[in-house]
Amino acid sequence: MIQTQNLEKVYRTDEIHTTALNKVNLEVKAGEFVAVMGPSGCGKSTLLNLLGLLDDPDAGSLVFNGTEVARFSERQRADLRKRSIGFVFQSFNLIDELTVLENVELPLIYLGMKNPERRRRVEEVLEKVQITHRMNHYPQQLSGGQQQRVAVARAVVNQPPLILADEPTGNLDSSNGNEVMDLLSELNRQGTTIIMVTHSEHDARNTHRIIRMLDGQTIMTEATVSQAQASMVL
Amino acid sequence: MFQNYFKIAYRNLLRHKGFSFINIAGLALGLTACLLLGLFVYDELQYDKFLPEGDRVYRVYNNVTSEESTDQITCVPPMFGTTIQENFPEAETVLRIIMQPWEGKSLVEFGDKRMYEKGGLISDPTFFQVFPLKFIYGSPEKALDDPTSVVISDKFADRVFGNVDPVGKKISIDKSSFLVKGVFESNPKFHIPVNFVVNLAIMQLEPERMKSWGWQQFYTYVKLKKGTDANLLQTKFRAEVKKQIDPETHKPHNYEPVFQPLKEVHLYSASFKFDQSLRGNITYVKALSVIAVFILVIACFNFVNLATAKSLQRAKEVGVRKTIGASRGQLMLQFLGETLLLTFISVVFAAALTSLLLPSLNAFTEKEMSFNVFSSPGLLLLLLGLLLIVGILAGLYPALVLANFKPVSVLKGGLASTNGPGKTPWLRHSLIVLQFSLSVFLIICAVVVYQQVSFLHNKDLGFNKDQIMFFEMRGNNMYQNYETFKTELLKSPDIASVSIGYGFPGDATAGDGIYITKDGQRVNHSITHLMVDYDYIKTLGLEMQAGRWLSKDHPTDKDAAFVINETAVKELGFGTPEKALGQKMEWPIWGATRKDSTKKGEVIGVVKDFHFKSLFDKVDPAILQIFPGANWKVAVKMKGGNVAGAINHVKAVWDNFSPEYPVEYKFMDDNFEVMYKAEDKLRTLLWIFTGMAIFVGCLGLFGLAAYAAERRKKEIGIRKILGAETSSIVTLLSKEFLKLVLIAAVIAMPLAWYAMSKWLQDFAYRIDIPLWVFGAAVILAGVVAFLTVSYQALRAATLNPVKNLRMD
Repeated sequence: MIQTQNLEKVYRTDEIHTTALNKVNLEVKAGEFVAVMGPSGCGKSTLLNLLGLLDDPDAGSLVFNGTEVARFSERQRADLRKRSIGFVFQSFNLIDELTVLENVELPLIYLGMKNPERRRRVEEVLEKVQITHRMNHYPQQLSGGQQQRVAVARAVVNQPPLILADEPTGNLDSSNGNEVMDLLSELNRQGTTIIMVTHSEHDARNTHRIIRMLDGQTIMTEATVSQAQASMVL
Repeated sequence: MFQNYFKIAYRNLLRHKGFSFINIAGLALGLTACLLLGLFVYDELQYDKFLPEGDRVYRVYNNVTSEESTDQITCVPPMFGTTIQENFPEAETVLRIIMQPWEGKSLVEFGDKRMYEKGGLISDPTFFQVFPLKFIYGSPEKALDDPTSVVISDKFADRVFGNVDPVGKKISIDKSSFLVKGVFESNPKFHIPVNFVVNLAIMQLEPERMKSWGWQQFYTYVKLKKGTDANLLQTKFRAEVKKQIDPETHKPHNYEPVFQPLKEVHLYSASFKFDQSLRGNITYVKALSVIAVFILVIACFNFVNLATAKSLQRAKEVGVRKTIGASRGQLMLQFLGETLLLTFISVVFAAALTSLLLPSLNAFTEKEMSFNVFSSPGLLLLLLGLLLIVGILAGLYPALVLANFKPVSVLKGGLASTNGPGKTPWLRHSLIVLQFSLSVFLIICAVVVYQQVSFLHNKDLGFNKDQIMFFEMRGNNMYQNYETFKTELLKSPDIASVSIGYGFPGDATAGDGIYITKDGQRVNHSITHLMVDYDYIKTLGLEMQAGRWLSKDHPTDKDAAFVINETAVKELGFGTPEKALGQKMEWPIWGATRKDSTKKGEVIGVVKDFHFKSLFDKVDPAILQIFPGANWKVAVKMKGGNVAGAINHVKAVWDNFSPEYPVEYKFMDDNFEVMYKAEDKLRTLLWIFTGMAIFVGCLGLFGLAAYAAERRKKEIGIRKILGAETSSIVTLLSKEFLKLVLIAAVIAMPLAWYAMSKWLQDFAYRIDIPLWVFGAAVILAGVVAFLTVSYQALRAATLNPVKNLRMD
């Protein structure tokens, strides 16, 4: 589903050049659940932003479903994002002025989906993350775990083939964190490809494989137990 | 989608009440100022537009050039009209109106009704052909063909006849009988404040007199045939004037006739002489338009500033929307829409506020402006236009900024691109500088205008205008027995002195020639004639510079003595006041049956210059002499203490002499107040709108200061923990803004100086712009800005530092 070749990102200020990503090559197949780990500043989030087309690479190639997208225009990228990629953030990033229902509805609005259908889809996905009873509440009225479930609901409401999650459990206690991980695993089982940046070994162990990064490079990929289990099942 | 935008906009509005209030209040005030001034300006531009075919009507005035200056004289000789009529077939109709005071009152009598009416015109019978006013009764054709016919205004008709058709009825005007031939509809937008019109023939002017090229006594209008080039005709007419005058006078004339389009008469004649039209002043109209735009711009800048400052708070939303797939265009549309919503609310408030304030403005400007959105599609369209212009002006830039946020950086909470450490928000700062430049500019102008207008009111005029009752003599008995009338008046212990004559300060004066002998040659000089009596000096409190005043003790003073003013000494070339004494002069007596009949005499005294006209004009050279034939006005100097007693005495004496005329008087100082009415109004309007501009500007500053304090909460907390005192924190936060106000002052000062110097040039007597005005303006702007900012700074500085730091 995703291939990168010599992907590079350099941050420049007046005097300092910081290489955030240094010739990263990786491949993620459709249906995979991949964890990206590494110390702070190693380039995990930068990688995720590039894969999500939120930022442009300085060099290298990025192929999404067989199409080279590294040089896509702003408009093309926005279009690809809204159809094919869902995002989940550590800090939830819900819009405070909108209710749960309205937050989850937003991607469908941008897709131009009309109302009875839109409403049905939103309720369906809220049901899935078990937050229906709170759908008319504002984000500040929810617990962290609930907020992250709403964020996940928003990420999947338009059924994107790929979900990018940036430390989705980072702001949650362990029980809420587990709930969110279960939700992601369930989505993965239903066929969604997930790439997740995390600091948590525990969470990472629940994915298929772990990509470890250091100083802007991928240094190693290891299969996890779940991967072995998955293989066995297959 | 739009529903979603609207929802967000609405909730944001409610959530950030303070900012919404500042934005809406600022915009609403700015728009109100703009609407009110706009209505005023629009009204000023409407004069004479209602007249059909008015684009073919021109007023003929004269540029008269003397050694010192060129004056626009609206009164021209009778021959101007005659010549145009006879020589130029391009002229369809010519109209002459004789110059006499339109404010002067005529006694109108009908049955047992007696009342004074002003606005009487004595005109060629072509009046209603050139100015086709709407007739309510009668018809304009031949309405003025008869010397004893009169056409009256609907208001006149209402007062005298009530609600009936008066055509065919006879009325008496100043004791002569007239037949009412028509009633026209008054129009407040007609530059001539006409109330009734009679035929010029009633004056029975001698045909010889009407052939004069020197008697500048007629307002002259001409209606041209379709397709006539007025400029070309003007050139041809100038040549014709030259051809006719120069051979007659044996010297080059100093006339330059100008054809002034009717639509320019009201606004472009402010400095014209002898013009009695309802005049506006294009300079003031332009100035007020500029101020309206200033205030609106300040309000828009507030919006831009606050919106960009607040954009950080919207950044997350932008990031999320972009991540989810919103395009830049969609986001811009959203934010622009929010501005439009806010502007819409402001427009609604502004419209309401305008309706509320308009009656006061109407009363103040003596206008009848209306503001009814629902009955006027044009107004609705204007409001819509304003909404779009302001919405886009204020909303475009913030929308652009917001839509350009990079989702990666905003979602991480860092927004280095717009407001990193050490980076100046240059746009925000430039806008503050611009806003305060406009404010400082307006403050300086307001103070200078205030000073100049006060100067006009308080300048020593060289005479004492206080407690002088002033009226026109009425009735033959009063005219013929003026000396007894005067003696009777003086019998009251409350009356100090009485003067009867023609040519009192602030009233009509006459210009005419005087002959002096210079190097053996008899030379004619144009000079102002003040026809006085022995008590003129005492009544007005004039001072002599040399020689003596006219006195009964010198029997020859009546027929052979002249007093001149200091300016006349210079203009006539006498050198010093002392040298002027004894100079011979000769004056062609008014109304003399023989053309060569002159009054010969010598200068017996020089009076100190006094301002018998407004301070717009320099003191003209004047000659003061006794000539009872011109007696017209009475000035009664009261002792004070018992003003009512003095007035009652005057009334009683009046009733003894002319019981057939109701008593009618005013006070001389009122004449002078009226002269500066336009300037008085400008002064007040300037103060009000300058106040509004400053207020709106401060609203914005207040919001920005709140934002700055918010943004630097953490810094303030750390500083406090390290030992900073409240005062040092207030200084820290205020300094940034005060610096901007100073820069603004530096920009505004030279501009204000230039604008005010230009304005002051219109006044013959003016103040020097005092330097302290600039200092005061800066201090005022600075203090207001400091108070605005320091409130927020103080609030931030007194917060518990631990609280401030906990947010991280």
